[in-house]
Amino acid sequence: MSSLKDLFSPRGIAVVGASKDPTKIGHLILKNVVEYGYGGKIYPVNPAADEVLGLKAYPAVSTISGGVDVVVVSVPSAKVLDVVDDAGKAGAKHLVVIAAGFKEVGNVELENELVRRARKHGMRVLGPNIFGYVYTPVKLNATFGPRDVIPGNVAFITQSGALGIALMGSTILEGIGISALVSVGNKADIDDADLLEFFDEDPNTSVVLIYMEGVNDGRRFVNVASRISMKKPVVVIKSGRTEAGARAAASHTGSLAGNVALYETAFRQSGVLSVKSVEEAFDFVKTLSWNPLPSGERVVVITNGGGAGVQASDTLADDGLYLEKPPQDFVEEVKKIVPPFASLANPVDLTGMASEDWYYKSVKTALENREIDAVLVLYCHTALTSPMGVARAIHRAVGEAGARKPISVAIIGGLEAYEAIRYLTNLKVPAYPTPERAAHAIAAQIRYRRYREYLLKRILPGG
Amino acid sequence: MDEAHRVLERARSEGRRKLLEHESLRLCELYGLPVARYGLATSEDEAVALAKEIGFPVVLKVVSPDISHKTDVGGVVLGLMTLEDVRKAYRDIVTNVPARAPGSRITGVLVQKMAERDLEVIVGGIRDRVFGPVVMFGLGGIFVEVLKDVSFRVAPLSEADVEDMIREIRAYRVLEGYRGSPPRDLESLKKLILGLESMLSELDDIEAVDLNPIILYQRGRGALIVDARVILGEKP
Repeated sequence: MSSLKDLFSPRGIAVVGASKDPTKIGHLILKNVVEYGYGGKIYPVNPAADEVLGLKAYPAVSTISGGVDVVVVSVPSAKVLDVVDDAGKAGAKHLVVIAAGFKEVGNVELENELVRRARKHGMRVLGPNIFGYVYTPVKLNATFGPRDVIPGNVAFITQSGALGIALMGSTILEGIGISALVSVGNKADIDDADLLEFFDEDPNTSVVLIYMEGVNDGRRFVNVASRISMKKPVVVIKSGRTEAGARAAASHTGSLAGNVALYETAFRQSGVLSVKSVEEAFDFVKTLSWNPLPSGERVVVITNGGGAGVQASDTLADDGLYLEKPPQDFVEEVKKIVPPFASLANPVDLTGMASEDWYYKSVKTALENREIDAVLVLYCHTALTSPMGVARAIHRAVGEAGARKPISVAIIGGLEAYEAIRYLTNLKVPAYPTPERAAHAIAAQIRYRRYREYLLKRILPGG
Repeated sequence: MDEAHRVLERARSEGRRKLLEHESLRLCELYGLPVARYGLATSEDEAVALAKEIGFPVVLKVVSPDISHKTDVGGVVLGLMTLEDVRKAYRDIVTNVPARAPGSRITGVLVQKMAERDLEVIVGGIRDRVFGPVVMFGLGGIFVEVLKDVSFRVAPLSEADVEDMIREIRAYRVLEGYRGSPPRDLESLKKLILGLESMLSELDDIEAVDLNPIILYQRGRGALIVDARVILGEKP
């Protein structure tokens, strides 16, 4: 088992700097740990208090009797080294260093010393300069971000602090369930590769999302990311994609090998899904975490409008996915419900007369057809039907279909469409406000499928 | 690879970070990369003997640690067809270069088989601070210069990676053959890329390599490295 097991499932957690002042970060973290419902032992450490939030407070970590696996360090950077020694004496295994004021402000020596001392005591360090971490399977929220993250199967690693906290909130709004959320900050010790190794083996995680500024050891990242990507998709938002000048290079190759090109290469090689925006990342995470993996590339598009269908098929084509004629038995079934002038090539156009029942029947038939691997459903809000009614019909079809298959839905319209999207996403049916986003999100699953096949060929001997 | 290390050590001991052309070509040979036949002459007679051995046509290029743009100082003579041509070219080089680049040291003159012209490709490598050894591939000329149509892979490379990186460039169709142009010897190209990767992975003193141009012939006819440049890292 990975060495980070005790970080994510500690027997006990101490919060150093657990102030009684409700505006202090140490207080906020302790409050989240308590209120999110962590079941292990919680120890506030504060020499100036007897209790914090109703819990007995300790003057030092080393005065706690009982197993402390994780020590959250929320004191100014100048005092961090003292806590390291104290925690080391207490036999802690992981330090979660919230404090800023290290390498990011030029304090390289202090950061190196922090890691050196922690290592001496056999401890690993998360941070410094972070907002904490979450692991929902044990109801642990040791952050000063939002409290009520939704439990789920997505692990989210973020190198950015402020954006990371904000996105933590966005996951709640978007209905994305989280297994873990880890702020990695300066990555003085624990880095993306360490975490990927843990998530690779973590049964509670099935998708990993990374907001990355950069890695220290690219080769190890490629190695570890390749391995996990054979099992679970990894989506990366890499910041800094534009490049001022390339490096001053004595060689032609060096002048062409910019930072951006090399990261893109590394992602491609390790089967990591590189995305450009937060929106794209969240869109992908929904299909990847809520849908099963497609067993092929045969996508059928069902729509009630030609325009939406074309937008979707163009998007799929941009993603290297070309629609084929739908299977004949599926077409025959749909023929029974639609008017004779309906175009039943792919996209399958139910026409503007499409009712909720037509959506229900065609989606269910598509999901049950063995020669269809994924279904993209598009609905333009018309006077004949309500978005919510169509959303319900789609959900019913998904629930009743004999087979689980990737599905992605676009509900295009106004406020009612928005509410129908919320309804579906709450039920873990990926739904989007535009045909392009819905198409791109289902294409991500096919892209991942292709990456995975490539990795199997690349990594497995003789493969 | 003792000889490879010796080549690098010699450059270091002479305070050079750039290998001389015959050294770079030798390194390529040691890693099984196909180079146009060559030899280093330090006299007119040696040049003639080498030309005879290599076969015509040949080119002569000045080898000097002080000169990077050989053509500008009259240090390159192309398309030599006879022994007389070689003699004359040798004499021209050893008189022109010192006149146009006073004070530059001349190690010798490279006598090299003039490769039959065909499709030019470039293969390169660098040692990146984050990713370690990285190899690059692209088509020569405007493809690399203007369009920057190149692909990279991080070591270690599998067969699948090499295949994928060759296919990744936008101009891939040129390699498959189009109109009257035949399909290219991609097997030789793959071996060449993997050979360069081994060189970079084993000789960690190397910071960058440019194999540019490489002539890539049609399927079954191989490839030839015409020019190689190897740069060593900053550490001693």
